[in-house]
Amino acid sequence: METLIRRAEELAERYGISYYEIRVTRVTASHLTMQNGQLEELAMNTEIGIGVRAFNGAWGFSSANDMGRAEKAIETAMKIARLSKGDSKIHLGDPIRDRAEIRPKRSFLDVDVEDKLALVKEIDSLLRDERASNRSVHYGDGLKEGFYFNSLGSEIETVVPRLRLSFSVTARENGEMQSYWKSFGGTAGWELVEGIDLSHWTDFVKEKAVSLLHAQSPPSGEFPVIMDPELTGVFIHEALGHAVEADSVKNGDSILAGRLGERIAVEELTVVDDPTLPGKFGSYVYDDEGMEGKRVEIIKNGVLLSYLNDRETSALLGLEPNGHGRAQGYNYQPLVRMSNTYVEPRDWSFEEMVEEVRNGLYMIGDKGGEVDTANGTFTFGAKEGYIIENGEITAQVRDVALSGRILDVLRNIHAIGDDLRIEFPGYCGKGQWVPVDDGGPHVLTRALVGGLR
Amino acid sequence: MIEELIGILERENVEWEIYWETGRGGSFRIERERLERSQRKFHSGIGLRIGYKGRLGFSYVTGLNHDRKTLEEFVKRTIKLARVSEVPFVGFPSPAKVPRVEGLYDGRIDEIPFEEAHSLAGEFAARMRELKDDSLTLSGSMALAVTTYGVANSNGVRLEARGTGMSVSAYAVKKDGKTGSGSYYQTYRSLQPFEELENALLSAIEEARLSYRARKMKPHSGEVLLEPEAFRAVLGIFLENLFGDGVYHGRSRFSRLGEDVAPEGFTLIDDATVPGGVGSFPFDGEGSPGERTLLVEDGVIRSFLLDETYARFLKLRSTGNAVRDFRTTPHIGTSNVMVVPGDENLGDFEGIVVRKVFGEHTANPVSGDFSLTVELGYAVKGGEVVPFRDNMLVGNAFRLLRSISSVGKKTLRRGSFISPRVVAEVKLV
Repeated sequence: METLIRRAEELAERYGISYYEIRVTRVTASHLTMQNGQLEELAMNTEIGIGVRAFNGAWGFSSANDMGRAEKAIETAMKIARLSKGDSKIHLGDPIRDRAEIRPKRSFLDVDVEDKLALVKEIDSLLRDERASNRSVHYGDGLKEGFYFNSLGSEIETVVPRLRLSFSVTARENGEMQSYWKSFGGTAGWELVEGIDLSHWTDFVKEKAVSLLHAQSPPSGEFPVIMDPELTGVFIHEALGHAVEADSVKNGDSILAGRLGERIAVEELTVVDDPTLPGKFGSYVYDDEGMEGKRVEIIKNGVLLSYLNDRETSALLGLEPNGHGRAQGYNYQPLVRMSNTYVEPRDWSFEEMVEEVRNGLYMIGDKGGEVDTANGTFTFGAKEGYIIENGEITAQVRDVALSGRILDVLRNIHAIGDDLRIEFPGYCGKGQWVPVDDGGPHVLTRALVGGLR
Repeated sequence: MIEELIGILERENVEWEIYWETGRGGSFRIERERLERSQRKFHSGIGLRIGYKGRLGFSYVTGLNHDRKTLEEFVKRTIKLARVSEVPFVGFPSPAKVPRVEGLYDGRIDEIPFEEAHSLAGEFAARMRELKDDSLTLSGSMALAVTTYGVANSNGVRLEARGTGMSVSAYAVKKDGKTGSGSYYQTYRSLQPFEELENALLSAIEEARLSYRARKMKPHSGEVLLEPEAFRAVLGIFLENLFGDGVYHGRSRFSRLGEDVAPEGFTLIDDATVPGGVGSFPFDGEGSPGERTLLVEDGVIRSFLLDETYARFLKLRSTGNAVRDFRTTPHIGTSNVMVVPGDENLGDFEGIVVRKVFGEHTANPVSGDFSLTVELGYAVKGGEVVPFRDNMLVGNAFRLLRSISSVGKKTLRRGSFISPRVVAEVKLV
């Protein structure tokens, strides 16, 4: 590594590069997939690669997965930056020298593959049910060891373990088919798996898939909707999170551009993005630009306080850097991304919220979402739900997507619950995939429901 | 080095397959009409599958320059995995005649100096600055890539091919009190003239202007014309049910061929042999020939999409749809998906047209239910065009396919999807 650092310094001088940063990453990962009792994948691999960014008013980037090409990648990035000369600015800041390791209680590297296979088989057998036409189990873990250095003199070593377990059931009866699934994950070790009540959650998934066979599609139109903590998570990720990623602000692509300090939501709403939450799936200590990941209060009491930013957008918009530049891997350039995003709890109980609704829906579970940040419209999917009539929860309805306009829906929040949960690990796509977590309490708002009725 | 690896493998008493890949790509991202991010990436690696006593082991190494000791350890490690693995192994493909697919490689992309590509991206940015006005923000990207890949196995398959690709995107935001946005994306196998970049920009700007004028429309139930990009979202939900692994594992709605799913006149094909097709290939990720597969013919399911493994499980023949890179074992995917044009002239259609939707991953592929957000649509009446957006397009993919009443004559290609406009019954909320 010393040789690479010296070589980068020489090349930067030769090509007149003012700033560069280099990430060398090693990932040791295992994946196991089983369907209907048949093992489909058992993979254990280690990959090393290098990604280099050089800045000269615009970025040059190069990567290689063959470390024999490491110096060539450094030189290529610098040549491109020299060629690209632009007039953008970036935040530089002070050098950081640190070693940050997220230590699990029990490393998954110390767990034999036989034990991982036994776990997958146990879940498969717990999911067994005559009504299930498909049972799927996926287990994945990966230890990412990173070495970051830049021209300021930063040298940061990071070690981050990440584990994810998910399983699903597809039920079939009289020509109807429905699926249900559950995921667990975190920056953690094998202790995460050991803490799961497998028989409870496998029964839960089976029963949900079967019960959905008899559920109706919800009505369509605009309704009061109570979202459970999981759905609140995807809602706030889509309805607010993407629009406050400062690269979309920079590119004229966010409906929230130029609105810092404005009241954009009800006074009760506070939204946070926090990469420092221990053990969550979207957590990290340093981002992929060698900046410390910081807790950000995006909205405080209804007022838009901050955007999520990287070195470039913090300089452009004159904001305090908060370490949200993340890359999918060494072979990708960092983009502004969320980490763990959630709605702060308030004081409504779930029961009070239900009583408040005359004719609406209680929607549950995350099926992902998508947003058009420029036009301010977003969609998010729920796994299932219930009709609420005169303050009573009645018939079950099956999965459906909901939609809303960002600014309307943030102002239409009527009640925020007292039951915060942030435990819904997933991956967020924006040309690249990064692990994120999200959540919140139960929230009552209004949304457009795309039901078949 | 590949020969050396094959030599090591041939001495082992196992079945084996190697898949190798080497490539490089240059891409350029323009933000706010300025070329902000340029990159050049290299990748290479080898994936090795070992079949041993009915079990499969897999691992990969990155790079194509390894000494003998590393290669021997790679082989030993993968054989060991096959011994402990419980992944069933049913055999690799045997050698078969591979089609010659023209137009997949363009030497101009392979040989273009990076500086020249960079300068083309610079011109793209300069054209954005010319087209920009106070209310418009323009951005976009351009990418060029070249890849060589090969497959060899213990049955005697020895294949290698190379291909090139180019992609262009443009994005326009119009903001002046109100906001509208438009986008365009296309991929190619050959180097495109500057006019294609310009066309991308003009299309995005035109769409942003339509979107700027768009409002939510009143609810509607009945006939709607779906432009190819919107139809792709709905068809994708149906298509998931034709993947052989889903059929075998009970995740598909279909379990047998011959089911009636659409009206006569609706024909859907997966074709890896389209000359110059961005989804085309002479052979798939395990060396089976690329082919033209009739998936739905006149409304009836004629084939599933299959790789070697699931073809054998289902007692069918591989359709050459094994997709992979060196890091992964093959999985089933599509090549070029084509809806065969009909005989209706839908160019002068009057009624409700949906151009773009989003959120299709929230749909339920097994029930077929979807509720998608309309990014852009428009109503045509007496030649007047009234754009709309933010409604939800709600329906069931299986019922929508059955309700198709017209299939247009003229097709549009977006990447590896080629389709005419279609008219079907659906609901707008």
